[in-house]
Amino acid sequence: MADLQKLYDAVLNGDQKAAIAVTEQALAEGITPLDLITNYMVPAMDEVGRRFECEDYFVPELLLSARAMKGSLTLIRPLLTASGIEPAGRVAIGTVKGDLHDIGKNLVASMLEGGGFEVIDLGADVPPEKFIDAIQNKGVRVVALSALLTVTMPSMRKTIDALKEAGVRDQVKVMVGGAPVTQQFAEEIGADGYSDNANAAVALARKLVAEGAPA
Amino acid sequence: MRLKLISCEVLFREMCAELARSPHQVDVEFMPKGLHDLGGKAMAQDLQKRIDAVPAGQYDAILLGYGLCGNGLHGLEARDTMLVLPRAHDCIALLMGSREQYQRYFDEHPGTYYRSTGWLERGKGLQQLTHNTVGMDVSEADLIAKYGEDNGRYLYEQLTRYRSNYQRLTFIETGLEADARFEEEARWEAAERGWTFEKLAGNLILVRRLIQGDWKGSDFLITQPGQRITASYDPSIVRAEDIRRTATA
Repeated sequence: MADLQKLYDAVLNGDQKAAIAVTEQALAEGITPLDLITNYMVPAMDEVGRRFECEDYFVPELLLSARAMKGSLTLIRPLLTASGIEPAGRVAIGTVKGDLHDIGKNLVASMLEGGGFEVIDLGADVPPEKFIDAIQNKGVRVVALSALLTVTMPSMRKTIDALKEAGVRDQVKVMVGGAPVTQQFAEEIGADGYSDNANAAVALARKLVAEGAPA
Repeated sequence: MRLKLISCEVLFREMCAELARSPHQVDVEFMPKGLHDLGGKAMAQDLQKRIDAVPAGQYDAILLGYGLCGNGLHGLEARDTMLVLPRAHDCIALLMGSREQYQRYFDEHPGTYYRSTGWLERGKGLQQLTHNTVGMDVSEADLIAKYGEDNGRYLYEQLTRYRSNYQRLTFIETGLEADARFEEEARWEAAERGWTFEKLAGNLILVRRLIQGDWKGSDFLITQPGQRITASYDPSIVRAEDIRRTATA
């Protein structure tokens, strides 16, 4: 029998090899993917988030836990898809035009994947048209914008304005983040949500997806 | 006038050169460059402490040798003495002479790292003020030692991948350099990373005007007692707002 506590520990400790090994064994023994996700991986990521909030974990630990979770998910996701279970939502994420910094964006992307989202990573220095294309052609429900510099923050406003002009703003929820970004700025530019860290970004994305769900 | 300058050490040589020529008496306090790495909130808290420590009634103004610096100046409150801050996103604009010049260069040269004497000689080898929570400056060997071979390599790759987005290193020469050492080091760094090297003539007009008390026009923000510095997220970069009004709003 697979020791599933080891899956929890592997995600919590950022041990990708162990996470994959336990997942393989568990799946071979007929344990359902949802059981693994719901009862072991999500609680582990919740604990990672808790440790991050109280500054017990830092960015490297977050990256490693997300990596372990992703390792496990590469085995699990095809099974979920085959059994018709949809991801939590599809998110297009990118650092806005003019800004080349991507560590924060990558971290949020990893955490979102760990949180069960399908993430379309558009990279850094992303022009508004790419976000529009993702909305129009890839079924994206949340757009996540990142910026590290105050110089490039106006690009976030321009991106949101471009979504409006293209007539796709109402089809998605927009969340923003990055070191200099504030709640006030998010409201000023008409974003739907702001998170000041990668962990809280997952909860925010879930909330936005729920709000945006057709009644 | 009697002035108090609180400045980032990254502008040490530039500030000192202008201080020596100032018609005013200026007391100066340099702050560690590493403040910037703590993030906007922590940086502002630290700077506020320095402002609060300035005795009331002793100075005509407190000069801030900073830009908005990733919101590191956002929220700073003037107590008994007014604050004077150049309108700039960061020190690069102060070295280039104007926020417009910086914006132009930024837009025309995406993916540029900047170097100046302060960027080359300050803050190196110093222990971070607190633990570096991102781990941007750690070496691959350090990461492997801490997280093991596999995870250490992965982290190093993740934390340094942004560098591949850069293509250029621009050395801003102010004319204060004693010899070619700084330029040589900047050239070496550019070559090491495979980036194009460019040398740009700096312009210290903003630094000079700050120190000389020439704050007229739109290049400086004056924050009076009872007001705070706020990021404006428009071309003016910063504005002053009344503390009381926003507290009740």
